[in-house]
Amino acid sequence: MNRRIGSAEAVSTYLILAAISVAMIAPFLLMVSISLASDTSTVQMNFRLIPNEFNFDNYVRVFTTPNIDIGRHILNSLIIVVGSIIGQVLVSSFVAYGFARFNAPGKNALFLILLGTMMIPGAVTLIPQFALYRSLGWLGTFAPLIVPNFFGGAFNIFLIRQFIVRLPTELDEAAKIDGVGPMGIFWYVVFPLIRPIAVAVAILTFQFNWSWFLEPLLYLQDAELMPLAVAVRTLSATTSAGATPMWNLVMVASMLLTLPMLLVFFFGQKYVFEANISGGSASIK
Amino acid sequence: MVTAQANPNDTALSGRRSRRLSARRRESIWFYVIISPWLIGLLLLLAGPMVYSLYLSFTDWNLFNPPEWVGFENYIRLFTRDRTFGNAIGNTFIYTFLYVPLNIIFSLAIAYLLNKRLPGMRFFRTVIYLPYVVPVVATTMVFRWVFAPDNGLLNGFLAIFGVDGPAWLLNPNWVKLALVIMSLWGVGSSVVFLLAGMQGIPSELYEAAAIDGASERHHFFKITLPMLSPVIFFNMIMSIIASLQTFTQVYILSADPNTPNNAIVMIIPYLFDNAFRFNKMGYASAIAWVLFVIVFVFTLVVIRSSSAWVFYENEMKR
Repeated sequence: MNRRIGSAEAVSTYLILAAISVAMIAPFLLMVSISLASDTSTVQMNFRLIPNEFNFDNYVRVFTTPNIDIGRHILNSLIIVVGSIIGQVLVSSFVAYGFARFNAPGKNALFLILLGTMMIPGAVTLIPQFALYRSLGWLGTFAPLIVPNFFGGAFNIFLIRQFIVRLPTELDEAAKIDGVGPMGIFWYVVFPLIRPIAVAVAILTFQFNWSWFLEPLLYLQDAELMPLAVAVRTLSATTSAGATPMWNLVMVASMLLTLPMLLVFFFGQKYVFEANISGGSASIK
Repeated sequence: MVTAQANPNDTALSGRRSRRLSARRRESIWFYVIISPWLIGLLLLLAGPMVYSLYLSFTDWNLFNPPEWVGFENYIRLFTRDRTFGNAIGNTFIYTFLYVPLNIIFSLAIAYLLNKRLPGMRFFRTVIYLPYVVPVVATTMVFRWVFAPDNGLLNGFLAIFGVDGPAWLLNPNWVKLALVIMSLWGVGSSVVFLLAGMQGIPSELYEAAAIDGASERHHFFKITLPMLSPVIFFNMIMSIIASLQTFTQVYILSADPNTPNNAIVMIIPYLFDNAFRFNKMGYASAIAWVLFVIVFVFTLVVIRSSSAWVFYENEMKR
């Protein structure tokens, strides 16, 4: 819109956006404030929006208190996240390459099925998958959370496929003339070119798995193996009836759960916005 | 090799043709080899489990004894005798019907403001997007204190205007609205999609309208909104599917003995309890299929209705 904006309109726009921003930031501030509260204030449930106590040692205590041991949970989350990223980036790119560069009878039908699977609620497969992993002896291991990523993810395959389709095929052709096979073309030509979208997929996979709750809750009931997201919930519920959870430490754990998401967002937003907008909503049309 | 037999007399032609066709065939084989990881996953982790889960929904199964066929008993019980399931469906629908329209209205309003050519909009866009990246577990923890009855953030704010706020998460009449407010904190995701859509609207449309003397309101309702309708459609489908499957918030809040569980129970948390707390795998599978049908019907209705309200630019050219 090239319309000139009057000063009254500018002022009212800023005022409304400032009010919305305050509402958006206030819960973050409350999280910080509670995470710095003393145990006394926690027991009295006397929390303020603007921090008036600064018990930074809360951030040390969650690592040193034996039955909390946040370090262990962060490590568990990292194992799940890194395993999932490797699977999703490699396999989804590979499958996307197939859909983008090869023709075969049944391909269009399979691509429609791929899109359709995104609409299927996970609940329909939850119980049979649980039974499957149970019979494989995978309960209480990271396998049910990591291995499925090595079959690729429909949304990621779709995103990467949209990206590869827009790449010129001249390089593929040149490599083919030089006698490079389909596998070689993927590894030496296509994979290096799809770096921006691969980074976006890695970020999306991180965001999903780092905050994932339902399946980790189901498969990792052993406190030793819980990822951070599940551990935060356990921490908020560990005390017996009538006793108050250590809300200051729960909020420290929530902060540690939130901060990596914010960091990844700040460093990766460029990739994710581009991927979502060019590959996602815009081409769903 | 059907192709090689096609013309046995003309060897030169058939040789060339079979080489060409076999190149095509080789390409097909490569296609299936390359997509095989996904195809195997589709069969092993999706199609197979779906068939098995449909079968389980007609059985009684506690995970330890073999499943026992009970016909439609699970479905009949769900719809005639299980009041908690009725609550779960009702709560899920109320939550969805509140959240989805409010999310669209708020995201449109915010995107409209952020689209103005004023300095500092990038900053506001980032601030408004940030809550979306916060994991739901962390959001739920902090919103317990946002919604705390006496010294909570929201009621403290309402008190400035002399409003005596309700006990939100503890009050059966308000708890669903509280969940909606909590989810609306993440409105920034929809805003970003809409904003990208708005920035893609050709400025000639506004210029032409301005020459015709169209008002600001006309610009919004006659140009911006129709041009954005595909993005609104996309946001709507995604948010409906997500809200019908709400789990984490409800599961965490239900653990608190003060939470009004009948007012908060939703379909997936109820399924989870049946399957993994009570070991009623068959019954839980029936719940899963009812949810599947609900998601399918909602999606279909929105897609069907879209021809009436979603405007595609290339349709004009036809």
